[in-house]
Amino acid sequence: MAKYYDIDDIITDEEIVAVIFQKAASGVGIDPSSETDCVEVGSKVELPFWLAHELQQRQAVSMNIPTSFNQNTRLEIQADSACVDLRSQCPYFYEFGCKIAPLVGARNIGPLLLSAFKSRYKEVLTKAHTAAFTAASKNLTILTKEETNLYEAAQSSMAAFKKWRMGGPRFQKASILGRKRKSNE
Amino acid sequence: MYGRKACQLVKELASGEKGQLTPYNSDLFDQVIAECSQHHLELQSLIRKMQEEGLDVQTTRNADHYGALIHHLSLVRNKRCLMAYMYNRAEIIRSLIWKVGPVLPQQIQEKLSHTEEEYFKKHSGALQSYMSRLDLDLTVDMVPPKDPYIQVRVLDDIGVVLSDDKTTNFACHSMHFLKRTDAEQFISRGLMEELTG
Repeated sequence: MAKYYDIDDIITDEEIVAVIFQKAASGVGIDPSSETDCVEVGSKVELPFWLAHELQQRQAVSMNIPTSFNQNTRLEIQADSACVDLRSQCPYFYEFGCKIAPLVGARNIGPLLLSAFKSRYKEVLTKAHTAAFTAASKNLTILTKEETNLYEAAQSSMAAFKKWRMGGPRFQKASILGRKRKSNE
Repeated sequence: MYGRKACQLVKELASGEKGQLTPYNSDLFDQVIAECSQHHLELQSLIRKMQEEGLDVQTTRNADHYGALIHHLSLVRNKRCLMAYMYNRAEIIRSLIWKVGPVLPQQIQEKLSHTEEEYFKKHSGALQSYMSRLDLDLTVDMVPPKDPYIQVRVLDDIGVVLSDDKTTNFACHSMHFLKRTDAEQFISRGLMEELTG
């Protein structure tokens, strides 16, 4: 429960998983293809992960491997990991992968995540340190949320280093007020 | 889909820049609460149905049980989203007093709900009374300055301000040589900027 209030964790749990119901459930409107508000045994429904996970623990559903971790993505990542648009696949690719791997019993998700992260991390770090602020936005669109955080951390550490070397005003406008004027950095 | 609205609420928090406050979305918040009461009603009716059939609610695993379970899980999920929304906003609000001081600018005030404003006032009140008991201003800059005075330029028309025993007219674009502690508040609120030689 350490992450109860964690925004990223909550959004990760909202990822959609396809499940097959092993038990019937009545009085719920979660199956759009069904006309009554009942879910029959064997019906295939797409559920958010938080619901699918709990139901699977009680053997009510069986989970399929989400499309973001299927063979196609695997091949894409093997071909050139740095250029794959992981954000549109799944904005929390790594976190979600870690959550789902033990549940669907796919042993190859772990190595896939590791190899994808290793090769993309290098890319992220070099770009964060070298690219100008304006040119960076193009690269950002294919990064997952976790990678974006790393990217921003790298950039802010670069900015802090520059400030330490050059000196600058000690006081600044509180960042919460937004930036109306361009800062003269 | 269940829980979609609650997640939207949380996503709204995440979509803003880090440490920035988004306007309080009371409309969506109320909608999620309404969804919760709906879940509660359906959960109760399913349980009642099981009781009427003479089944043991604790141990039966029929379709009604799983239906009720889904409603229960959705309730818990909605609660988590709502709690996270309030908690993360409260965290930002607590940080406000350290960053912008006890008086909130208009642009922030309109993003807060009524209870959040109350919370901010009470929190800053508690901090103020603590500081007055210590006889120490804790909100000033932590790094000891090299020079107690700094040069600033006024960016907005502040008007005549009384500091120590003299009054100063802070007209727009004028430059002043001020005590650091006096200038600090104006700078963090964006009314002045520090000039470095």
